[in-house]
Amino acid sequence: MTAPAPTTPRPAPPGNPAGSRSPALQRSLSRSLPRSLGAVLKLFWTGQRNHLLLGAALAAFTVLAGIALLGLSGWFITATAIAGLSAATALAFDVFAPSAGIRFLALTRTAARYGERLVTHDATFAVLAALRERAFRGWAQPGAARRLLLRPARLLFRLTSDIDALDSLYLRILVPAAAALGAALAAGVSLGLVNGWFGLLAGLWLLLAGLGVPALAARRALTPSRRRSSGLETLRQRIIDLTAGQTDLVMTGRMAAAQAGLAAADARLADADNALNRIEARVTAAFSVATALLLTAALLTVAALAESGAIGAPVAAMAVLVALAALEPFAALRRGAMELGRALLAVGRLAPRLVDQSAAPVRQAPADDQVVATLRQVSVRHPGAARPVFADVDLTVGAGERIAIIGASGAGKSTLLALLAGELEATTGEVRNRPASLLTQRTELFQDSWRGNLQLAAPQANDATLMAALTAASLDDVIRGRSTGAMTSPLDAPLGEGGAGLSGGQGRRLALARLLLRDAPLWLLDEPTEALDAATARDVLGCAARLAEGRAVVIATHLRREADLADRLLVMNHGRLTAEARRGEPAFDVLLAGLRPD
Amino acid sequence: MRGNPWPAETGGAPAPLQQRETMTATGRVASAADDAAAAFPAAVAADRFAARQLAVGAAPARQPARKRQHGREDRDAARKAALIQAAATLIWLPQAALIAWAIGGLAHGAPASAMLAPAAGVLGLGLLRAALDALGVRQAFRGARPTLTARRRAACEAIAARSPLDMNRVASGEAAAIVGEQAEAVQAWLSRFQPARMKASIVPLVILACVVPFSWVAGLILLVAAPLIPLFMALIGWRAKAASEAQLVEMGAMNAFLLDRLRGLATIRTLGAVEATATRLRANAETVRRKTMAVLRIAFLSSAVLELFSALGVALVAVYIGFHLLGQLPFGAWGGKLTLAQGLFILLLAPAFFDPLRELSAVWHDKAAGEAAMAALDRLSTPDTAGEALPLPGARQPETPADAAASPFPMGPPLEISLPAGPLAVAAHDLGFRYPGATAHALPEAFSIDIAAGERVALLGPSGDGKSTLLALLAGLAAPQHGVIAIGGQPLNDANVAGLRQRMAWIGQQPHIFTGALEANVSLGRPAPDVGASARQALRWANLADVAANRGGAIIGEGGVGLSGGEALRLALARAAFNHNAGLVLADEPTAHLDRATASAVTESLLDLAEGRTLIVATHDPELAARMDRTIRLAATDAPEERT
Repeated sequence: MTAPAPTTPRPAPPGNPAGSRSPALQRSLSRSLPRSLGAVLKLFWTGQRNHLLLGAALAAFTVLAGIALLGLSGWFITATAIAGLSAATALAFDVFAPSAGIRFLALTRTAARYGERLVTHDATFAVLAALRERAFRGWAQPGAARRLLLRPARLLFRLTSDIDALDSLYLRILVPAAAALGAALAAGVSLGLVNGWFGLLAGLWLLLAGLGVPALAARRALTPSRRRSSGLETLRQRIIDLTAGQTDLVMTGRMAAAQAGLAAADARLADADNALNRIEARVTAAFSVATALLLTAALLTVAALAESGAIGAPVAAMAVLVALAALEPFAALRRGAMELGRALLAVGRLAPRLVDQSAAPVRQAPADDQVVATLRQVSVRHPGAARPVFADVDLTVGAGERIAIIGASGAGKSTLLALLAGELEATTGEVRNRPASLLTQRTELFQDSWRGNLQLAAPQANDATLMAALTAASLDDVIRGRSTGAMTSPLDAPLGEGGAGLSGGQGRRLALARLLLRDAPLWLLDEPTEALDAATARDVLGCAARLAEGRAVVIATHLRREADLADRLLVMNHGRLTAEARRGEPAFDVLLAGLRPD
Repeated sequence: MRGNPWPAETGGAPAPLQQRETMTATGRVASAADDAAAAFPAAVAADRFAARQLAVGAAPARQPARKRQHGREDRDAARKAALIQAAATLIWLPQAALIAWAIGGLAHGAPASAMLAPAAGVLGLGLLRAALDALGVRQAFRGARPTLTARRRAACEAIAARSPLDMNRVASGEAAAIVGEQAEAVQAWLSRFQPARMKASIVPLVILACVVPFSWVAGLILLVAAPLIPLFMALIGWRAKAASEAQLVEMGAMNAFLLDRLRGLATIRTLGAVEATATRLRANAETVRRKTMAVLRIAFLSSAVLELFSALGVALVAVYIGFHLLGQLPFGAWGGKLTLAQGLFILLLAPAFFDPLRELSAVWHDKAAGEAAMAALDRLSTPDTAGEALPLPGARQPETPADAAASPFPMGPPLEISLPAGPLAVAAHDLGFRYPGATAHALPEAFSIDIAAGERVALLGPSGDGKSTLLALLAGLAAPQHGVIAIGGQPLNDANVAGLRQRMAWIGQQPHIFTGALEANVSLGRPAPDVGASARQALRWANLADVAANRGGAIIGEGGVGLSGGEALRLALARAAFNHNAGLVLADEPTAHLDRATASAVTESLLDLAEGRTLIVATHDPELAARMDRTIRLAATDAPEERT
């Protein structure tokens, strides 16, 4: 077998050292973990208390029925064997109660198991539904939303894998733990009936070994689970780099190094896997040892008790079989213990998004009725950045005014729109504006019906209003062509992901129709016709101009055709407004001519 | 061909990505379908391996042999692991015998001291079992993990061996999903499911063989109950399986819905629809939950059947033995009467008889996920069935002498190419190129071009007229179907394309931004006397010093904040400038989608870079074309040339 892990470190393409966290951060994480876990468990608890408890109880009952079935069977066989030695005792022996008991336990065990699976799954689905809703709300908070927009790929991948990891918290950890606890109590009590000390010691041993071993394993598995999770992220990134960056790698002669880097990431992942497997092997062995010890102790104890005449052979058989069955449910905790580390990591990352956060500060409206937005000496500096991305900007947007912000990429146009949209707060200075609606650079349509997509902007709007908005955006012909049947409204026709099935121009117009329904006095258009061909762009811009009638519009652009919509041009350069021109002034045409034609 | 490690099932239609998402989204709660799926009796018995050749891309003949060897070793390791685990399970047989005969002794009034020997035996065997258990878990892992590594490697090699011009090449997101997360399922499948399957086919038979000599009735009860399990599970499960799979796809859609809405969060926020969307998300999830539970009520019946038969099997054995010992059922023990010890022994073995079946059912999910992962990896690793993959020239050749030395394959070192220092001439004659599956030629017929060393040439024409294709052919990113290309007088072929590329600088339309810091994104790990200084110099030259100052050492790319279009292009220029040895600069639409100021800055940088080098630019920007020495129009068959 040839292992592809490179033996000599070669300069791999850039990759961040995965999972390298400062010790301080690690400590603060572990300090906040109990609180995070509390937040997640509270979410579980508040919504589905009864279901969760019932599921755990049924799981415990299933286990108890199993233990009782084996114990009773052992007693029955031994008792019948002794009774069967003479014909008289054989006839007097009551076979009905125990054999009925055995059959009853077999059936109840099955029923309890069926009920357990239904209830626990129902509870899990309910918890997952709540979890997704809360995660969405959490990420929709202004600060979080902006972080998500800045690095969507990584955060969205993390989010889904974290939510998946939390699935196992209840089904794989809490339910088996409840069942195991029940088994320990039941075995302790039933063995306690045979002999008090025997029962107490056996119960304690079950708890100690049955819960202690998984707990210890879970603790040990924490670090490898984290390494595994970050290793997988690194591997993912390197695969994306290898696939999407193939041309750049090939042309710089770095493809082999990229492959080696990928193999190294896989090797690190394999290391973490190996560490986890070693722990799992130890847990498996520990359970086997615990079972063997308990069995041996039970055999010796019943032998001593039998010799002293305290118990007979049937009770001895029952005690041994109960001891045998009691540790079995603990084995179900094995996989759960291995997954606890990953679940805790997810808890630590998700919990901050699950707790209610203070609402975003409400933007004040400008005092003047004729003004929709004002910026006074506004600066924005990203944390840790050497210089502000946006510095000392003063701007007043009058009602109904149309402004185009022009400038090279990275000049701060998007920052200005984010400020006006309320996505970003000024580091210093003051922003006041009336409600604003942003048309994002990429058309964002959702996997939903036309109605669902439009009603995002106006939940109460009726079909007539929605159709009117579509007609205004010249989409009425498009949607009529999609009528799904005589009885259903064409508004119920589905739209694919990202508006699949619509052309680029149609998607833009649909997004504009949505803005129209929102009816905000200020529209923010971020490069509205980027990546559209000239004819389509003119069509979309015409539509935008028509629909925006009576509103203030701020367009961020570097294209002449878009800037031509405006009455006032503002030039941004390195985060500052450096020039300004109104339509009719000679400077306006000069600035316009300096922009890129179609 | 027995060497192939992949069971026949993997040959099925590859699971769509949607289904994979379902797996991870609801994998833990997907046991309903698993139980139902466990119904297929074939899976327990079948251990047949299919003969399917796995050829990897344009792999040399050596490669399949290596794979075969991998396969045999994997299979041997899996079998060894399964045998160890089965042996550990079977240790229960002597343990049960010791316990049964010890309690039998108790019933006959044996002294407590008589218990010492069997108790010691149970303990000793128990410790042995613990050791074997641990060994089995380790062995299963050791056998399975290298397969995952090998499969990942094969998939990545295959991805890297396809030309970037290949339209059917896998998208990076899909590749990451398959080779990253989904492939993880391979390990669970090999290390959990395969041993469980072998155990389920060995252990019950051995136990049956131990029970029957004592009592054929007890054996019959077990024998009847065991095959009934898959039978009944199949009867109940078959329809439920289809229904629950459909339902689980809907469960997966819960994740998809969340992701879809989060991707459009800016729009949702600006429309003030956060509350409405959250409510909708919840309502959707609740609907899916109700529907799913309706299906699961049936699907779980199959797992209930497994429980019922194993519990009833134990109960029937216990009741039969009890009545037999009482003398009320005197038959079944081959004419004799069972002793207490024999009866207990049979009772102790009864649950162990069903355990492997239950274990198999518990890991059934690993099978479905593992096979789906294998199929997806196969799809990446094998070229299109139609043979329409476009290979990348020289992909299986070492890129540098160091690579050749480190390579596990006995390939020759890259050819030492003698190229003149300084600018390189480019000549192409009688080129013909057609994309796989396309009927139209991508280049004008029998296209020829001659570019002198140090010349600056624009390939002009509207998009879709083959100028980017021609540029890619000159860079050796795909091989023309006919015709020859020579760079600096050396023919461009598989053997020396890597060496020739070392003398080229490439500026693509959309340069990929690698995960890492900006400086590392310039050097890409290429050797240089002082890498940091050279990278910084290149950044300064490309007017990215400001950006570098703003970002510091922050991570950009997939895991970090991206760059704007203009910044990305300047990064490509910096990358090109880092290579001081380049004698030929190839730039593909460098000014497309840029604002005018940035476009003219890029044009100046490009001309600066071309100083002392040959420059070929594919563009439809007339301002850029006007700055070149010569413009070649690709549009028509009679390619008119104009000199400026």
